[in-house]
Amino acid sequence: MSTTTTTPMKDNKSLTDRAAGRLLVDPTLGVLALLLLICLISAFALPVFLNPSNLYNLLNTSLIVMILAMGMTVVLISGGIDLSIGTTMALCAGVAATTMNYGLPLIAALLAALATGALVGIGNGLLITRLGLPDFIATLAMLGFASGILYIWTKGVPIIGYMVPEFYTIGGLTPLVGPLTLPMLIALAVALVLGGILGSTRLGTHFFAVGSSKTGAMQSGVRVDRIRAQAYIVSGLAAAVAGIIMAGRNTNVPADLGNGYEIQAIAAAVIGGAALTGGRGRILGAILGAITLAATVNLINLVGVPSSYQKIVIGAILVVAVLANRLSAVISAKVRQRRALGP
Amino acid sequence: MSSTTVNTRPGRRGSRARLALACTATAAALLLTGCTTVNSSGGGSNAGASGGGGTDYLPDETVKKIVNGREIKVGFAPPILSEFYTQVEKAAQNKMKEYEDRFGVKWKWERQGALNDAHSGTETLGIVQGYIARKFDAVFVCSAANASTMQALYKQGSAKGIDFYQFNSTEELANPSQAENPTGGLSTVSNIGYDDRWQSGYLAGQYIAKQLKGQGSIIQIMGPSGSDWTKLRQLGFKKAIAEYPDMKIVGEADGGYVRDKGLTAAQDLLTKFPDVKAIYGENEDMALGAAQAIDARGLKHWDGTSGIITIGADGLVSGMDAIKAGKLTATVDVNSSEMGSRMIETLFAHEFLGQEVNQFIRIPTGVVDKSNVDWHEGVLKNVLSGPGKY
Repeated sequence: MSTTTTTPMKDNKSLTDRAAGRLLVDPTLGVLALLLLICLISAFALPVFLNPSNLYNLLNTSLIVMILAMGMTVVLISGGIDLSIGTTMALCAGVAATTMNYGLPLIAALLAALATGALVGIGNGLLITRLGLPDFIATLAMLGFASGILYIWTKGVPIIGYMVPEFYTIGGLTPLVGPLTLPMLIALAVALVLGGILGSTRLGTHFFAVGSSKTGAMQSGVRVDRIRAQAYIVSGLAAAVAGIIMAGRNTNVPADLGNGYEIQAIAAAVIGGAALTGGRGRILGAILGAITLAATVNLINLVGVPSSYQKIVIGAILVVAVLANRLSAVISAKVRQRRALGP
Repeated sequence: MSSTTVNTRPGRRGSRARLALACTATAAALLLTGCTTVNSSGGGSNAGASGGGGTDYLPDETVKKIVNGREIKVGFAPPILSEFYTQVEKAAQNKMKEYEDRFGVKWKWERQGALNDAHSGTETLGIVQGYIARKFDAVFVCSAANASTMQALYKQGSAKGIDFYQFNSTEELANPSQAENPTGGLSTVSNIGYDDRWQSGYLAGQYIAKQLKGQGSIIQIMGPSGSDWTKLRQLGFKKAIAEYPDMKIVGEADGGYVRDKGLTAAQDLLTKFPDVKAIYGENEDMALGAAQAIDARGLKHWDGTSGIITIGADGLVSGMDAIKAGKLTATVDVNSSEMGSRMIETLFAHEFLGQEVNQFIRIPTGVVDKSNVDWHEGVLKNVLSGPGKY
């Protein structure tokens, strides 16, 4: 489903040694270990944590950040960063809700939201590739544009009155089949599509190549600007999908709906092994990163500690994840170097 | 109960004739209203709802002569742009339109609210400083910033001839005697709001206790820790629940005053405490999120005899719609419409008529549930469809 720039070691070591080695070079296994550790501690401290309904809630809660983090992972792999992803989500949610309020059919609302997400992605791409703005600045500006448009358009008043039964299903408030919710299926579909693109298409290889070395990719004939813009379109579309789900889950769209979500998406992607320096990341990692964040918030809510501690814990997890990523990058580089030099 | 301190600074830029008329008006006002009082101690929903001046005792023609077509530049600085503050603003603008039609006053109205973190207050500080720099005549402020910082800013602005009116703001917790001694550091012309301790948290607690006949466990979805609104509402809510020994608050989580966080927090707490009888959301958005959590878990909403009670506070149209749909049990309507209207009455009385206005004006609040939601929603929708637009 996904690709990393590293490959597993092949030597004569024992299975345990190989597993330990893999843990060090594969950041996805690292975040999996972190998640299991959090679950273990939580289950020990609070048995209710392992209650199936709690795990179900936890998974449902993580889906929006998960989808955003998957889009963010593609951007990070290609060497960029998307600070506008949260406000793009809010803008797309606003477009979907307003379209519904105009009395247009649901499909029109969904298409309008997706088109908005794609347009924001194109805008980010143009600002970066045509005007030569740094990714950070371009997407920060886009954050302002998207947020400002939504505030002006809504005059600060949340959009209400658009909910129809289908939107409750889209938001996951009404299960689709049994306990399965539509956002779960959507997240799975996004994961399969993006994992497939990164793992088995030329476009995916180009994302990694551009993120690893723009000059190298250009010399190899890769159209770097186009690839970078495409990464932002993917991110914009992911934000649109998340926005549609959010509109259904929240049942209203306030102008500040997306505040802070860009940080959560970056955190989930980085915890999942994506490198801020580009060329490295995994869709599965983003999924696990989002679940790790949701598990942390869930644990804090269950324990009943104030939100200020929540921020500290998430910050600590982020630091540990980035340090672990850096360590695994160093180790995998050494492994590659050793392999290149031969036995 | 203490006597009210009044602000006696006359309106600026008045001609001698206008001043004479203003003095007459002031005298008339004092004769008619007597010495007003502010009741700042807790208990009743109408505690201390005293006046901020008025025009009813003077013929419109007289007031018109005082106003003399004057234009006033007013800044409106809510802590964030939201449904609640839009209701307040709309009510204010309706009153402005009424005064424009009756007395010929001209308004220049500007709204700027924080776009990011409403609870830090930093953005509001910048907005208020902007109003001061641009020499507005009067500014309405609601901010989560530290009270002493805001008072210092008001003093700085007042020195430049700008009048400040606080609205919907909490009183400084470090100085709880301020309500009894309004001269204790308050640098605004007036403070128009409601008593958060007793008219929001306390009423919600009382309502839950009454419905549950004093028995059962409760979970709370709270605002950001450290917020003065959160602290004050907690004082009232916990005091009400403490009066019923068989009621217990079993769990609480942060809902950040927003709906999706309220939903997540309520889902988590309902997993841990599946037998709760009531959920208190400190604001309406979080309570609505909690109501969604009840639906998502397939639990039953309160029907008057069984189910889970969900109560919030604000008095929003979306909350009232949810009450009618049986999704939200109740809300404490903190009366955004009267707040907005009284803000303009107070400003008009002080700026144009030179009247003395109370430094604390208490807006009455009340619980809205299915029994009275139609009336409250009618009032609100009437306000929102009013003519005011600036």
